[in-house]
Amino acid sequence: MKMLSGLRPDGSRSLAFFAVSFCTAFLSFTAPVAAKTLPPAAEFVQRLGDTALMSLTDKHLPRKTREERVRKILEDNFDVKAIGRFAIGPYWRQATGAQRKEYMKYFEDLIVETYTSRFEAYSGQTLKVYGARPSGDTDYIVDSKVLQKTAGPIELQWRVRKEDGGLRIVDVIVAGVSMSFTQRSDFMSVIQNEGGLEGLISSLRKRHEENRG
Amino acid sequence: MRQNIAKTFSVALMFSLVIGVSGCAKTPPVTATYQSQQIADPLEPVNRAVFGFNNVLDEALIEPVAKGYNALLPRFVRDAIRNFMRNLQSPVDVANDLLQGRIKNAGVATARFVINSTVGIAGLIDVATKKGMHYRDEDFGQTLASWGVGNGCYLVLPVLGPSTLRDATGTFVDGYADPFRLWTTNTGREGLYYAREALQGLDTRSRLIKPIDDMRKNSLDYYAAARSAYIQHRNALIRANDPQAAGAAPQGLGSDHP
Repeated sequence: MKMLSGLRPDGSRSLAFFAVSFCTAFLSFTAPVAAKTLPPAAEFVQRLGDTALMSLTDKHLPRKTREERVRKILEDNFDVKAIGRFAIGPYWRQATGAQRKEYMKYFEDLIVETYTSRFEAYSGQTLKVYGARPSGDTDYIVDSKVLQKTAGPIELQWRVRKEDGGLRIVDVIVAGVSMSFTQRSDFMSVIQNEGGLEGLISSLRKRHEENRG
Repeated sequence: MRQNIAKTFSVALMFSLVIGVSGCAKTPPVTATYQSQQIADPLEPVNRAVFGFNNVLDEALIEPVAKGYNALLPRFVRDAIRNFMRNLQSPVDVANDLLQGRIKNAGVATARFVINSTVGIAGLIDVATKKGMHYRDEDFGQTLASWGVGNGCYLVLPVLGPSTLRDATGTFVDGYADPFRLWTTNTGREGLYYAREALQGLDTRSRLIKPIDDMRKNSLDYYAAARSAYIQHRNALIRANDPQAAGAAPQGLGSDHP
Protein backbone atom coordinates (compact mmCIF):
# COMPACT_ATOMS: atom_id res chain seq x y z
CA MET A 1 0.00 0.00 0.00
CA LYS A 2 2.80 2.32 0.90
CA MET A 3 4.33 1.54 -2.45
CA LEU A 4 1.15 2.19 -4.36
CA SER A 5 0.84 5.72 -3.06
CA GLY A 6 4.21 6.48 -4.59
CA LEU A 7 3.15 5.40 -8.02
CA ARG A 8 0.74 8.12 -9.04
CA PRO A 9 1.72 9.77 -12.29
CA ASP A 10 1.50 13.23 -10.72
CA GLY A 11 5.06 13.74 -9.66
CA SER A 12 4.63 12.32 -6.16
CA ARG A 13 6.77 9.44 -7.36
CA SER A 14 9.76 11.64 -8.11
CA LEU A 15 9.18 13.49 -4.85
CA ALA A 16 9.22 10.22 -2.94
CA PHE A 17 12.31 9.21 -4.85
CA PHE A 18 13.98 12.48 -4.03
CA ALA A 19 13.17 12.01 -0.34
CA VAL A 20 14.57 8.50 -0.36
CA SER A 21 17.69 9.59 -2.25
CA PHE A 22 18.22 12.43 0.14
CA CYS A 23 17.97 10.18 3.21
CA THR A 24 20.24 7.60 1.68
CA ALA A 25 22.85 10.22 0.86
CA PHE A 26 22.57 11.75 4.28
CA LEU A 27 22.95 8.44 6.07
CA SER A 28 25.71 6.86 4.06
CA PHE A 29 27.72 9.79 2.68
CA THR A 30 29.59 7.40 0.43
CA ALA A 31 27.18 6.24 -2.23
CA PRO A 32 26.73 8.87 -4.91
CA VAL A 33 23.05 9.28 -5.62
CA ALA A 34 22.23 9.38 -9.28
CA ALA A 35 18.64 9.64 -10.39
CA LYS A 36 17.71 6.20 -11.70
CA THR A 37 16.63 6.69 -15.27
CA LEU A 38 14.64 4.17 -17.27
CA PRO A 39 15.98 2.89 -20.60
CA PRO A 40 14.62 4.89 -23.58
CA ALA A 41 12.07 2.23 -24.59
CA ALA A 42 10.68 2.11 -21.04
CA GLU A 43 10.67 5.90 -20.83
CA PHE A 44 8.74 5.96 -24.11
CA VAL A 45 6.01 3.65 -22.79
CA GLN A 46 5.73 5.50 -19.49
CA ARG A 47 5.38 8.78 -21.34
CA LEU A 48 2.69 7.27 -23.57
CA GLY A 49 0.83 6.01 -20.48
CA ASP A 50 1.01 9.41 -18.82
CA THR A 51 -0.09 11.21 -21.98
CA ALA A 52 -3.02 8.84 -22.46
CA LEU A 53 -4.14 9.29 -18.85
CA MET A 54 -3.94 13.04 -19.15
CA SER A 55 -5.69 13.54 -22.46
CA LEU A 56 -8.12 10.61 -22.80
CA THR A 57 -9.73 9.94 -19.45
CA ASP A 58 -11.81 13.07 -18.89
CA LYS A 59 -15.38 11.84 -18.33
CA HIS A 60 -16.92 14.85 -20.08
CA LEU A 61 -14.95 14.53 -23.30
CA PRO A 62 -17.27 14.24 -26.32
CA ARG A 63 -16.95 10.88 -28.08
CA LYS A 64 -15.66 12.49 -31.25
CA THR A 65 -12.90 14.45 -29.51
CA ARG A 66 -11.80 11.40 -27.57
CA GLU A 67 -11.74 9.40 -30.76
CA GLU A 68 -9.60 11.98 -32.54
CA ARG A 69 -7.14 12.05 -29.66
CA VAL A 70 -6.95 8.25 -29.55
CA ARG A 71 -6.23 8.19 -33.27
CA LYS A 72 -3.46 10.75 -32.91
CA ILE A 73 -1.81 8.89 -30.03
CA LEU A 74 -2.20 5.59 -31.88
CA GLU A 75 -0.60 6.93 -35.07
CA ASP A 76 2.23 8.63 -33.18
CA ASN A 77 3.16 5.69 -30.96
CA PHE A 78 2.10 2.45 -32.64
CA ASP A 79 3.18 0.90 -35.92
CA VAL A 80 -0.42 0.35 -36.97
CA LYS A 81 0.58 -0.78 -40.44
CA ALA A 82 2.90 -3.52 -39.16
CA ILE A 83 0.28 -4.71 -36.68
CA GLY A 84 -2.41 -4.75 -39.36
CA ARG A 85 -0.21 -6.58 -41.86
CA PHE A 86 0.74 -9.17 -39.27
CA ALA A 87 -2.90 -9.80 -38.37
CA ILE A 88 -3.69 -11.20 -41.82
CA GLY A 89 -0.40 -13.04 -42.27
CA PRO A 90 0.09 -14.46 -45.76
CA TYR A 91 -3.07 -12.80 -47.07
CA TRP A 92 -1.40 -9.39 -47.11
CA ARG A 93 0.83 -10.44 -49.99
CA GLN A 94 -2.12 -11.70 -51.99
CA ALA A 95 -4.25 -8.63 -51.41
CA THR A 96 -4.76 -6.02 -54.12
CA GLY A 97 -3.86 -2.39 -53.49
CA ALA A 98 -7.52 -1.49 -53.04
CA GLN A 99 -8.08 -4.35 -50.59
CA ARG A 100 -5.04 -3.35 -48.53
CA LYS A 101 -6.21 0.22 -48.32
CA GLU A 102 -9.74 -0.72 -47.31
CA TYR A 103 -8.57 -3.32 -44.82
CA MET A 104 -6.12 -0.93 -43.15
CA LYS A 105 -8.77 1.76 -42.86
CA TYR A 106 -11.25 -0.50 -41.08
CA PHE A 107 -8.50 -2.11 -39.04
CA GLU A 108 -7.40 1.23 -37.67
CA ASP A 109 -10.99 2.28 -37.07
CA LEU A 110 -11.56 -0.90 -35.06
CA ILE A 111 -8.58 -0.17 -32.82
CA VAL A 112 -9.55 3.48 -32.41
CA GLU A 113 -13.12 2.57 -31.49
CA THR A 114 -11.97 -0.15 -29.08
CA TYR A 115 -9.61 2.15 -27.22
CA THR A 116 -12.02 5.07 -27.23
CA SER A 117 -14.55 2.87 -25.44
CA ARG A 118 -11.91 1.65 -23.01
CA PHE A 119 -10.92 5.17 -22.05
CA GLU A 120 -14.57 6.18 -21.82
CA ALA A 121 -14.96 3.52 -19.15
CA TYR A 122 -11.77 4.63 -17.37
CA SER A 123 -11.89 4.07 -13.62
CA GLY A 124 -8.66 5.25 -12.07
CA GLN A 125 -6.04 2.84 -13.45
CA THR A 126 -2.44 4.00 -13.68
CA LEU A 127 0.54 2.61 -15.56
CA LYS A 128 3.84 1.87 -13.87
CA VAL A 129 6.79 0.94 -16.09
CA TYR A 130 9.63 -1.09 -14.61
CA GLY A 131 12.22 -1.49 -17.31
CA ALA A 132 13.08 -2.76 -20.76
CA ARG A 133 15.16 -5.57 -22.20
CA PRO A 134 16.21 -6.13 -25.79
CA SER A 135 14.47 -8.82 -27.83
CA GLY A 136 16.16 -9.54 -31.13
CA ASP A 137 17.99 -6.84 -33.05
CA THR A 138 15.28 -4.24 -33.29
CA ASP A 139 12.82 -4.84 -30.46
CA TYR A 140 12.54 -4.21 -26.74
CA ILE A 141 10.19 -5.80 -24.28
CA VAL A 142 9.02 -3.20 -21.77
CA ASP A 143 7.66 -4.54 -18.47
CA SER A 144 4.86 -2.65 -16.77
CA LYS A 145 1.90 -2.99 -14.48
CA VAL A 146 -1.54 -1.49 -14.59
CA LEU A 147 -2.55 -0.54 -11.07
CA GLN A 148 -6.25 -0.61 -10.31
CA LYS A 149 -8.26 0.59 -7.37
CA THR A 150 -10.66 -2.31 -6.96
CA ALA A 151 -8.54 -5.26 -8.06
CA GLY A 152 -4.96 -6.47 -8.14
CA PRO A 153 -2.38 -5.15 -10.61
CA ILE A 154 -2.28 -6.51 -14.16
CA GLU A 155 1.07 -7.33 -15.72
CA LEU A 156 1.48 -5.79 -19.12
CA GLN A 157 4.36 -6.08 -21.55
CA TRP A 158 4.96 -3.96 -24.61
CA ARG A 159 6.92 -4.92 -27.69
CA VAL A 160 8.60 -1.70 -28.80
CA ARG A 161 10.50 -1.46 -32.08
CA LYS A 162 13.28 0.91 -33.07
CA GLU A 163 12.26 2.35 -36.44
CA ASP A 164 13.42 5.16 -38.65
CA GLY A 165 10.91 7.57 -37.21
CA GLY A 166 11.71 6.59 -33.61
CA LEU A 167 10.22 4.02 -31.26
CA ARG A 168 6.92 2.35 -32.13
CA ILE A 169 4.80 -0.20 -30.26
CA VAL A 170 3.99 -3.33 -32.25
CA ASP A 171 2.42 -5.57 -29.59
CA VAL A 172 0.92 -5.58 -26.12
CA ILE A 173 1.13 -8.74 -24.03
CA VAL A 174 -1.15 -9.39 -21.04
CA ALA A 175 -0.53 -12.43 -18.82
CA GLY A 176 1.43 -14.08 -21.62
CA VAL A 177 -1.28 -13.36 -24.17
CA SER A 178 -0.13 -11.31 -27.15
CA MET A 179 -2.80 -9.03 -28.57
CA SER A 180 -1.26 -9.36 -32.04
CA PHE A 181 -1.28 -13.14 -31.92
CA THR A 182 -4.85 -13.25 -30.62
CA GLN A 183 -6.01 -10.80 -33.26
CA ARG A 184 -4.30 -12.77 -36.00
CA SER A 185 -6.00 -15.99 -34.87
CA ASP A 186 -9.28 -14.13 -34.80
CA PHE A 187 -8.86 -12.64 -38.28
CA MET A 188 -7.47 -15.84 -39.83
CA SER A 189 -10.50 -17.72 -38.61
CA VAL A 190 -12.82 -15.15 -40.18
CA ILE A 191 -10.85 -15.28 -43.44
CA GLN A 192 -11.11 -19.07 -43.52
CA ASN A 193 -14.76 -19.31 -42.50
CA GLU A 194 -16.30 -16.22 -44.09
CA GLY A 195 -15.00 -16.30 -47.62
CA GLY A 196 -11.45 -14.98 -47.65
CA LEU A 197 -10.08 -11.50 -47.22
CA GLU A 198 -13.23 -9.93 -48.67
CA GLY A 199 -15.18 -11.68 -45.92
CA LEU A 200 -12.89 -10.21 -43.27
CA ILE A 201 -13.12 -6.73 -44.75
CA SER A 202 -16.90 -6.86 -44.81
CA SER A 203 -16.92 -8.16 -41.19
CA LEU A 204 -14.73 -5.24 -40.17
CA ARG A 205 -16.97 -2.83 -42.07
CA LYS A 206 -20.04 -4.24 -40.37
CA ARG A 207 -18.40 -3.91 -36.96
CA HIS A 208 -17.43 -0.34 -37.76
CA GLU A 209 -21.01 0.49 -38.67
CA GLU A 210 -22.28 -1.12 -35.48
CA ASN A 211 -19.79 0.88 -33.45
CA ARG A 212 -20.97 4.03 -35.16
CA GLY A 213 -24.42 3.07 -33.90
CA MET B 1 14.72 -19.60 8.95
CA ARG B 2 11.36 -21.24 9.02
CA GLN B 3 11.43 -21.21 5.26
CA ASN B 4 14.74 -23.04 5.21
CA ILE B 5 13.57 -25.73 7.61
CA ALA B 6 10.45 -26.30 5.58
CA LYS B 7 12.46 -26.40 2.41
CA THR B 8 14.92 -28.93 3.77
CA PHE B 9 12.09 -31.01 5.11
CA SER B 10 10.17 -31.15 1.88
CA VAL B 11 13.29 -31.82 -0.13
CA ALA B 12 14.33 -34.70 2.09
CA LEU B 13 10.83 -36.14 2.11
CA MET B 14 10.35 -36.22 -1.61
CA PHE B 15 13.85 -36.66 -2.90
CA SER B 16 13.54 -40.25 -4.00
CA LEU B 17 10.35 -39.53 -5.91
CA VAL B 18 11.96 -36.65 -7.79
CA ILE B 19 15.01 -38.67 -8.79
CA GLY B 20 12.74 -41.13 -10.49
CA VAL B 21 10.96 -38.50 -12.50
CA SER B 22 13.49 -35.83 -13.38
CA GLY B 23 15.23 -38.22 -15.71
CA CYS B 24 12.51 -37.73 -18.28
CA ALA B 25 12.03 -34.01 -17.73
CA LYS B 26 12.13 -32.03 -20.93
CA THR B 27 12.67 -28.33 -21.39
CA PRO B 28 9.85 -26.53 -23.15
CA PRO B 29 10.89 -24.28 -26.03
CA VAL B 30 12.37 -20.96 -24.98
CA THR B 31 10.88 -19.02 -27.83
CA ALA B 32 7.32 -18.82 -28.94
CA THR B 33 6.36 -17.79 -32.42
CA TYR B 34 2.90 -17.34 -33.87
CA GLN B 35 3.13 -20.81 -35.38
CA SER B 36 4.09 -22.39 -32.06
CA GLN B 37 1.00 -20.85 -30.46
CA GLN B 38 -1.39 -22.66 -32.78
CA ILE B 39 -3.38 -25.66 -31.68
CA ALA B 40 -5.00 -28.45 -33.61
CA ASP B 41 -8.78 -28.25 -33.38
CA PRO B 42 -10.24 -31.27 -35.18
CA LEU B 43 -13.32 -31.13 -32.97
CA GLU B 44 -14.03 -27.51 -33.86
CA PRO B 45 -17.73 -27.99 -34.72
CA VAL B 46 -18.40 -29.74 -31.40
CA ASN B 47 -16.19 -27.30 -29.52
CA ARG B 48 -18.01 -24.35 -31.03
CA ALA B 49 -21.34 -25.82 -29.97
CA VAL B 50 -20.14 -26.34 -26.38
CA PHE B 51 -18.54 -22.88 -26.41
CA GLY B 52 -21.86 -21.42 -27.48
CA PHE B 53 -23.66 -23.26 -24.71
CA ASN B 54 -21.10 -22.08 -22.12
CA ASN B 55 -21.56 -18.56 -23.34
CA VAL B 56 -25.30 -18.62 -22.92
CA LEU B 57 -24.88 -20.10 -19.43
CA ASP B 58 -22.25 -17.51 -18.60
CA GLU B 59 -24.26 -14.52 -19.73
CA ALA B 60 -27.44 -15.74 -18.10
CA LEU B 61 -26.03 -16.95 -14.80
CA ILE B 62 -22.32 -17.07 -14.11
CA GLU B 63 -21.32 -13.56 -15.14
CA PRO B 64 -24.17 -11.85 -13.25
CA VAL B 65 -23.34 -13.87 -10.13
CA ALA B 66 -19.64 -13.02 -10.49
CA LYS B 67 -20.47 -9.34 -10.90
CA GLY B 68 -22.66 -9.49 -7.82
CA TYR B 69 -19.85 -11.19 -5.93
CA ASN B 70 -17.49 -8.34 -6.87
CA ALA B 71 -20.04 -5.69 -5.98
CA LEU B 72 -21.11 -7.26 -2.71
CA LEU B 73 -17.80 -8.19 -1.14
CA PRO B 74 -14.96 -5.73 -0.58
CA ARG B 75 -11.65 -6.54 -2.19
CA PHE B 76 -9.94 -7.67 1.03
CA VAL B 77 -12.66 -10.25 1.67
CA ARG B 78 -12.41 -11.58 -1.90
CA ASP B 79 -8.65 -11.71 -1.58
CA ALA B 80 -8.93 -13.61 1.71
CA ILE B 81 -11.26 -16.13 0.08
CA ARG B 82 -8.84 -16.59 -2.80
CA ASN B 83 -5.90 -16.96 -0.40
CA PHE B 84 -7.79 -19.54 1.61
CA MET B 85 -8.62 -21.61 -1.44
CA ARG B 86 -5.14 -21.38 -2.88
CA ASN B 87 -3.78 -22.57 0.43
CA LEU B 88 -6.15 -25.51 0.42
CA GLN B 89 -4.84 -26.36 -3.02
CA SER B 90 -1.18 -26.21 -1.94
CA PRO B 91 -0.58 -29.96 -1.67
CA VAL B 92 -1.50 -30.29 -5.34
CA ASP B 93 0.93 -27.49 -6.25
CA VAL B 94 3.75 -29.08 -4.23
CA ALA B 95 3.14 -32.51 -5.75
CA ASN B 96 3.26 -31.04 -9.26
CA ASP B 97 6.43 -29.05 -8.56
CA LEU B 98 8.06 -32.28 -7.41
CA LEU B 99 6.78 -34.25 -10.38
CA GLN B 100 8.31 -31.57 -12.59
CA GLY B 101 11.59 -31.98 -10.74
CA ARG B 102 11.51 -28.32 -9.62
CA ILE B 103 12.71 -28.77 -6.07
CA LYS B 104 13.09 -25.09 -5.34
CA ASN B 105 9.52 -24.35 -6.39
CA ALA B 106 8.29 -27.26 -4.28
CA GLY B 107 10.20 -25.87 -1.31
CA VAL B 108 8.68 -22.43 -1.77
CA ALA B 109 5.17 -23.88 -2.15
CA THR B 110 5.64 -26.01 0.99
CA ALA B 111 6.98 -23.08 2.99
CA ARG B 112 4.04 -20.98 1.78
CA PHE B 113 1.63 -23.67 2.97
CA VAL B 114 3.27 -23.89 6.42
CA ILE B 115 3.52 -20.13 6.93
CA ASN B 116 0.12 -19.19 5.53
CA SER B 117 -1.67 -22.00 7.40
CA THR B 118 -0.25 -20.78 10.72
CA VAL B 119 0.81 -17.13 10.69
CA GLY B 120 -1.64 -16.46 7.89
CA ILE B 121 -4.58 -17.78 9.94
CA ALA B 122 -5.67 -20.91 8.07
CA GLY B 123 -4.54 -19.43 4.79
CA LEU B 124 -6.74 -16.33 4.85
CA ILE B 125 -3.76 -13.98 4.71
CA ASP B 126 -0.96 -14.52 2.23
CA VAL B 127 1.92 -13.71 4.57
CA ALA B 128 4.39 -15.69 2.48
CA THR B 129 4.09 -13.42 -0.58
CA LYS B 130 5.04 -10.44 1.59
CA LYS B 131 8.16 -12.38 2.51
CA GLY B 132 9.05 -12.83 -1.14
CA MET B 133 7.67 -16.35 -1.54
CA HIS B 134 5.38 -15.97 -4.50
CA TYR B 135 2.45 -18.12 -5.48
CA ARG B 136 2.81 -20.29 -8.56
CA ASP B 137 -0.18 -21.78 -10.26
CA GLU B 138 0.70 -25.44 -10.83
CA ASP B 139 -1.33 -28.31 -12.20
CA PHE B 140 -0.83 -31.72 -13.72
CA GLY B 141 -1.37 -30.36 -17.22
CA GLN B 142 1.78 -28.26 -16.78
CA THR B 143 3.57 -31.27 -15.30
CA LEU B 144 2.71 -33.35 -18.35
CA ALA B 145 3.99 -30.49 -20.52
CA SER B 146 7.27 -30.47 -18.61
CA TRP B 147 7.58 -34.16 -19.41
CA GLY B 148 7.28 -33.32 -23.09
CA VAL B 149 3.60 -34.21 -23.55
CA GLY B 150 2.01 -32.00 -26.18
CA ASN B 151 -1.42 -30.39 -26.01
CA GLY B 152 -3.12 -33.01 -28.09
CA CYS B 153 -6.10 -31.15 -29.45
CA TYR B 154 -8.17 -28.24 -28.29
CA LEU B 155 -11.23 -29.03 -26.19
CA VAL B 156 -14.02 -26.90 -24.83
CA LEU B 157 -15.45 -28.54 -21.73
CA PRO B 158 -19.04 -27.92 -20.69
CA VAL B 159 -19.15 -25.22 -17.98
CA LEU B 160 -15.38 -25.43 -17.36
CA GLY B 161 -14.50 -23.88 -20.72
CA PRO B 162 -11.31 -23.94 -22.82
CA SER B 163 -8.90 -26.84 -22.30
CA THR B 164 -6.88 -29.34 -24.27
CA LEU B 165 -6.68 -33.10 -24.24
CA ARG B 166 -3.59 -32.80 -22.03
CA ASP B 167 -4.96 -30.12 -19.73
CA ALA B 168 -8.29 -31.89 -19.29
CA THR B 169 -6.38 -35.03 -18.28
CA GLY B 170 -4.42 -32.85 -15.85
CA THR B 171 -7.57 -31.38 -14.37
CA PHE B 172 -8.95 -34.86 -13.83
CA VAL B 173 -5.76 -36.15 -12.20
CA ASP B 174 -5.42 -33.08 -9.95
CA GLY B 175 -8.99 -33.47 -8.80
CA TYR B 176 -8.53 -37.16 -8.22
CA ALA B 177 -5.38 -36.75 -6.12
CA ASP B 178 -6.49 -33.64 -4.26
CA PRO B 179 -6.27 -34.39 -0.50
CA PHE B 180 -9.20 -32.08 0.13
CA ARG B 181 -11.38 -34.11 -2.22
CA LEU B 182 -10.20 -37.37 -0.67
CA TRP B 183 -10.90 -36.08 2.82
CA THR B 184 -14.36 -34.76 1.97
CA THR B 185 -15.46 -37.83 0.07
CA ASN B 186 -14.12 -40.21 2.72
CA THR B 187 -15.97 -38.43 5.48
CA GLY B 188 -19.26 -37.91 3.68
CA ARG B 189 -18.69 -34.20 3.09
CA GLU B 190 -18.95 -34.18 -0.70
CA GLY B 191 -21.09 -31.07 -0.48
CA LEU B 192 -18.12 -29.18 0.92
CA TYR B 193 -15.96 -30.27 -1.99
CA TYR B 194 -18.47 -29.12 -4.59
CA ALA B 195 -18.98 -25.87 -2.72
CA ARG B 196 -15.27 -25.21 -2.89
CA GLU B 197 -15.14 -26.05 -6.59
CA ALA B 198 -18.00 -23.66 -7.26
CA LEU B 199 -16.44 -20.91 -5.18
CA GLN B 200 -13.14 -21.39 -6.96
CA GLY B 201 -14.85 -21.04 -10.32
CA LEU B 202 -16.66 -17.94 -9.08
CA ASP B 203 -13.41 -16.43 -7.85
CA THR B 204 -11.70 -17.02 -11.18
CA ARG B 205 -14.64 -15.68 -13.18
CA SER B 206 -14.99 -12.62 -10.96
CA ARG B 207 -11.41 -11.63 -11.81
CA LEU B 208 -11.99 -11.98 -15.55
CA ILE B 209 -15.01 -9.71 -15.94
CA LYS B 210 -13.19 -7.04 -17.93
CA PRO B 211 -10.94 -9.18 -20.15
CA ILE B 212 -13.80 -11.48 -21.16
CA ASP B 213 -16.18 -8.61 -21.73
CA ASP B 214 -13.50 -6.92 -23.78
CA MET B 215 -12.82 -9.95 -25.92
CA ARG B 216 -16.53 -10.57 -26.52
CA LYS B 217 -16.99 -7.01 -27.71
CA ASN B 218 -13.82 -6.54 -29.71
CA SER B 219 -13.20 -9.82 -31.46
CA LEU B 220 -14.81 -10.76 -34.74
CA ASP B 221 -14.72 -14.48 -33.98
CA TYR B 222 -14.85 -14.79 -30.19
CA TYR B 223 -14.30 -18.55 -30.33
CA ALA B 224 -11.04 -18.23 -32.28
CA ALA B 225 -9.80 -15.35 -30.11
CA ALA B 226 -10.55 -17.25 -26.87
CA ARG B 227 -8.84 -20.37 -28.18
CA SER B 228 -5.71 -18.41 -29.02
CA ALA B 229 -5.69 -16.57 -25.69
CA TYR B 230 -6.11 -19.83 -23.76
CA ILE B 231 -3.21 -21.55 -25.50
CA GLN B 232 -0.92 -18.54 -25.16
CA HIS B 233 -1.71 -18.20 -21.47
CA ARG B 234 -1.08 -21.89 -20.81
CA ASN B 235 2.17 -21.78 -22.76
CA ALA B 236 3.27 -18.78 -20.72
CA LEU B 237 2.58 -20.67 -17.47
CA ILE B 238 4.57 -23.63 -18.75
CA ARG B 239 7.42 -21.39 -19.91
CA ALA B 240 7.50 -19.69 -16.51
CA ASN B 241 8.22 -23.05 -14.85
CA ASP B 242 11.50 -23.26 -16.65
CA PRO B 243 14.07 -20.91 -15.13
CA GLN B 244 15.95 -20.70 -18.43
CA ALA B 245 12.88 -19.86 -20.45
CA ALA B 246 11.31 -17.60 -17.84
CA GLY B 247 13.85 -14.85 -18.38
CA ALA B 248 13.42 -14.92 -22.13
CA ALA B 249 11.30 -12.38 -23.88
CA PRO B 250 7.63 -13.28 -23.96
CA GLN B 251 6.56 -14.62 -27.34
CA GLY B 252 10.16 -15.27 -28.20
CA LEU B 253 12.38 -13.75 -30.82
CA GLY B 254 12.56 -14.01 -34.54
CA SER B 255 10.72 -12.39 -37.37
CA ASP B 256 7.36 -13.92 -36.56
CA HIS B 257 6.01 -10.72 -35.09
CA PRO B 258 4.18 -7.73 -36.44
